Amino acid sequence: MRMTKQEFLSSSGIQVQVLELWLEQRWLVPEEAEAGLFFGEIEVARAHLIRQLKDDLGANDAGIDVILHLVDQVHGLRRVLTELRDEIKGR
Amino acid sequence: MKNPYEVLGVAATASAAEIQSAYRKLAKKLHPDLNPGDKAAEEKFKEVAAAYDLLSDADKRKRFDAGEIDESGAERPQHHYYRDYATSDQGDRYADASGFSDFMDQDDAFAELLRRSQQARANRRGQDLHYHLAVDLVDSITGATKRLTLPDGGTIDVKIPAGLVDGQTLRLKGKGAPGSGKGGPGDALIEVEVRPDRRFTRDGDDITLELPISLTEAVLGGQVRVPTPTGDVTMSVPKGSNTGTKLRLRGRGVPRREGGQGDQFVQLKVVLPKSPDPELESFVSGWKDKDYDPREGRA
Repeated sequence: MRMTKQEFLSSSGIQVQVLELWLEQRWLVPEEAEAGLFFGEIEVARAHLIRQLKDDLGANDAGIDVILHLVDQVHGLRRVLTELRDEIKGR
Repeated sequence: MKNPYEVLGVAATASAAEIQSAYRKLAKKLHPDLNPGDKAAEEKFKEVAAAYDLLSDADKRKRFDAGEIDESGAERPQHHYYRDYATSDQGDRYADASGFSDFMDQDDAFAELLRRSQQARANRRGQDLHYHLAVDLVDSITGATKRLTLPDGGTIDVKIPAGLVDGQTLRLKGKGAPGSGKGGPGDALIEVEVRPDRRFTRDGDDITLELPISLTEAVLGGQVRVPTPTGDVTMSVPKGSNTGTKLRLRGRGVPRREGGQGDQFVQLKVVLPKSPDPELESFVSGWKDKDYDPREGRA
């Protein structure tokens, strides 16, 4: 599923100004093509996480920035571990 | 589900602020995206979230306290968390492996493994992209080339093989998303839907066409033009044909993958002149004596 910016806005219910801010902060990094930005399921899930951090967990923008950076590092680490496991298995 | 007050660990008299604070404390610990590898966290978080949904809504809480509703039914609809996608190819845009680059600087077997897997990632093949294409039944039988317009404005020419079936997926090598480094592009996977046709219906390798014929052609037989997916052909209608009579045009059906072709069936339908014809009426009046019973044998 690939959505244009407009489709993403209407399906996620996020205000356009809010999205612009998130893009500027690089909280969301959608796929870039000649015709513009394309949003996938991962962006939908990530936007949902950002909203939960803000609305449910009371994190402010600075806090969200830190949390996302750490979450991305955890996933980076998990990826490398997965690749290492595959590499070791493949031997 | 358990009692929502117990789940959040608050007293039944807790204020709204206390309930929110208890929920936040638990959610920070249990949110599945803050516990990427912990399967149990999701179950626990679901319980906590459902309890909070119930108790944070003053009206629902009142009704729960009065015993009008119970704790079930407050469960949140299932949804996917970020962690479910973070490990997919799309997650490449976000995952950050810089936090342990110091490991890679070492000169040992572990660092070598890390470097190799990083290299593999740098040369990863592009993603496969999925598309949908609708084609006419006739094109699916004879084969055709269709142009698919992509969401980003580009186009792909898709060769529809003769005999394609509804729902079949075509793979176009290298037409997917670009890869990184030396990894080639992914493939385009195109699911093809076959639109129904006004004239032909398909059943396996055979197709059927309903062909109207005149009363004269039905009674006396004759040569008629019949449309087939590959163009018109001439067919003999035998004497005494009737509505419902099925004639076979051998090899005019759908090409088979293993070679050969199915058949086209022509189902005849006798059609009288559009407006009443006095000559026909007087003729049939004279023919009346030789009446027959088309309903013979029916209950």
